Amino acid sequence: MNFLLILIGKLVIYASRFFNLGNGSTWPGHIALSLNSNFIRDILKTNDNRLKTILIAGTNGKTTTGKLIQTILEKSGKRVFQNEGGANLLNGIASSLILNSSSTGKIDKNFAIFEIDENTLPLILKEVNDPDYIIILNLFRDQLDRYGEINTIAKKWGDATRHLLSKTTLILNADDPQIAYLALHLKGVNVKYFGIDSKNKTEKRQHASDSTYCPNCGGKLIYNSIYFSHLGDWKCKNCKYARPEKRFSKFTYYPLSGMYNEYNANAAILFAKINNINNSTIQQSLRNFTPAFGRQEKIKIRNKAVKILLSKNPTSFNESLRTIVNLKAKHVLIVLNDRIPDGKDVSWIWDVDFEEFLTNFSNITISGDRCYDMALRLKYINSSKFKNEKLKIKNSLKIENLKLKIEEDLRKAVALASEKTPKSETLYILPTYSAMLEVRKILTGKSIL
Amino acid sequence: MKHNYTLDAKRYTLTIGWLYPELMSTYGDRGNIICLQKRCEWRGIKVEIKRLDLGFNPNDLSECDLLFMGGAQDQQQKIVAEDLLKKKLTLKKMVDDEIPGLYICGAYQFLGKYYKEANGSVINGLKILDLYTENPGASFSRLIGNSVARALDNKIIVGFENHGGRTYLGKHVKPIGKVIKGFGNNGIDKTEGAVYKNTFGTYLHGPILPKNPHLADLLIKLSLEKKYNSPINLSPLNDSLETKARQSIAKRLKIDL
Repeated sequence: MNFLLILIGKLVIYASRFFNLGNGSTWPGHIALSLNSNFIRDILKTNDNRLKTILIAGTNGKTTTGKLIQTILEKSGKRVFQNEGGANLLNGIASSLILNSSSTGKIDKNFAIFEIDENTLPLILKEVNDPDYIIILNLFRDQLDRYGEINTIAKKWGDATRHLLSKTTLILNADDPQIAYLALHLKGVNVKYFGIDSKNKTEKRQHASDSTYCPNCGGKLIYNSIYFSHLGDWKCKNCKYARPEKRFSKFTYYPLSGMYNEYNANAAILFAKINNINNSTIQQSLRNFTPAFGRQEKIKIRNKAVKILLSKNPTSFNESLRTIVNLKAKHVLIVLNDRIPDGKDVSWIWDVDFEEFLTNFSNITISGDRCYDMALRLKYINSSKFKNEKLKIKNSLKIENLKLKIEEDLRKAVALASEKTPKSETLYILPTYSAMLEVRKILTGKSIL
Repeated sequence: MKHNYTLDAKRYTLTIGWLYPELMSTYGDRGNIICLQKRCEWRGIKVEIKRLDLGFNPNDLSECDLLFMGGAQDQQQKIVAEDLLKKKLTLKKMVDDEIPGLYICGAYQFLGKYYKEANGSVINGLKILDLYTENPGASFSRLIGNSVARALDNKIIVGFENHGGRTYLGKHVKPIGKVIKGFGNNGIDKTEGAVYKNTFGTYLHGPILPKNPHLADLLIKLSLEKKYNSPINLSPLNDSLETKARQSIAKRLKIDL
């Protein structure tokens, strides 16, 4: 049975690649699972003694962390595979098994890295009985229409990880209270923590901070410092539950900009250290690291540099903005879609702190299904820096010295934004998920999923 | 003697009370506060935003001319419910005295008589509005999606709803409007939101005010009229972008504005 499913799956993959319909990262698995719901469990069981499994969950950073781990492991001579970035439901995981196994279901690799969608973590833990590693990065508000509220997800994750056995090593973000809390009542499981040493310490709370109440007793958390959103050095006034003291937080080299990428890198480096990979191997692999698609990915068009930073929820958008401001960005294209992978509710853009960052840019182009919602958000920038009383709107909006252009047609918007970017400078594109895939398709002429 | 003030005179001030900004602001609802503030400032009306967080003093509440409260997660709503029940009398008096207010989703439900949870247990509401909410149980899906309603003044209101509870109106409140697309209060009777005196409750996020500036202006106007006890005409603003945003979603839902 599984032999046949693998064969069909492989055929689908080759066909969709041949016809440039995407690279077949979900359909083969979908077909296999609908004919044998135990497909994932069966295949992993066949490979139980050789293949180690790594699950990566979290709202932001899964794809980058997975790619960092893959890069480090391969540098240290291991054979590794990973599900395609974004194909992180059960069908995507099943597809990656099909792609990487022989027709008898044998997988000739040392490690399987699976990035896991928030809602899928409990499901995959039923299929992979005892994963060797689970890395949990963070939990932020994201697509409330699809995932529900973050407390709901935190509870699901808690229930799903409760039965873990000593075979599993949990690698958790100590700076995120809800994530650290997952380990509080676990017995026998090996737990390691990571975090960051931020220079950007602030006591000012960002608007879109979520877990500011103690996951243990419900009391209010106090912070020695907040790095961003609700991540930082936290402690509960009431029950004294506090950030775990022992955490890995500093390395000599980071391949990508932004505090959020220090988290991703530290999670990967901690994993590598647990696997006895030495510092020089880690550092060499980080130096050769190329970003995953759309995650600070660099693309050249007509001799101009373009950098894409996926910006998919309030925290991710805030940190993209902070990062490009630090990189002295001047030219920005924002693309807001409201399709299923983006979340159909675009209300969240009002939780992004545009006020803090926008004055730094000289040219902003806006596109996407919901370009007028985004333009409206920017019109209502709530800052004393902007006295936008005299707004002229004719599909272009001027807020003080800020030039803002709205273009519904994404292809035209990309052309327009890149035209406005001088040769020696970089155009920064901040898209939501489906918008990122579209932008890449326009820039590279190739479809990803 | 009463005057029909025009708003060129920059002597108007409004104090907007934002109930539980830390806890009740999950769905971008702070956009409503930003919208009210900007639309006042653009007209030269001075605005003070009073953040009324957990444990606030009821006296601070009674100093407000306009109230706003957004939606949140269940855990946070429970914390808030406990706190707000203590200040119930102050709030009820303000609502009865026609102090304008906008209450979204969880806040809207909380103004009613009770909320029956999916597991059957009943949480007491503030009993200020004649309505109640019931969650029919885990086997029923949440009411999620873009939503369009026609208000009683015939104006279109667009937003996004996401709620598990179904709200039923009593005879002492009127709906804000009739559902054209979406679910509204309960998915059955085509009503959306509730109005009682100058208090407005609604399920619509989006956030509701930036894309429906007529509603924002109505709240501002009512607040000023109440505060200055005289008719107010707000100077018009350029709302072409607001209209465009509203139109583009209405067009997609195949609704003529």
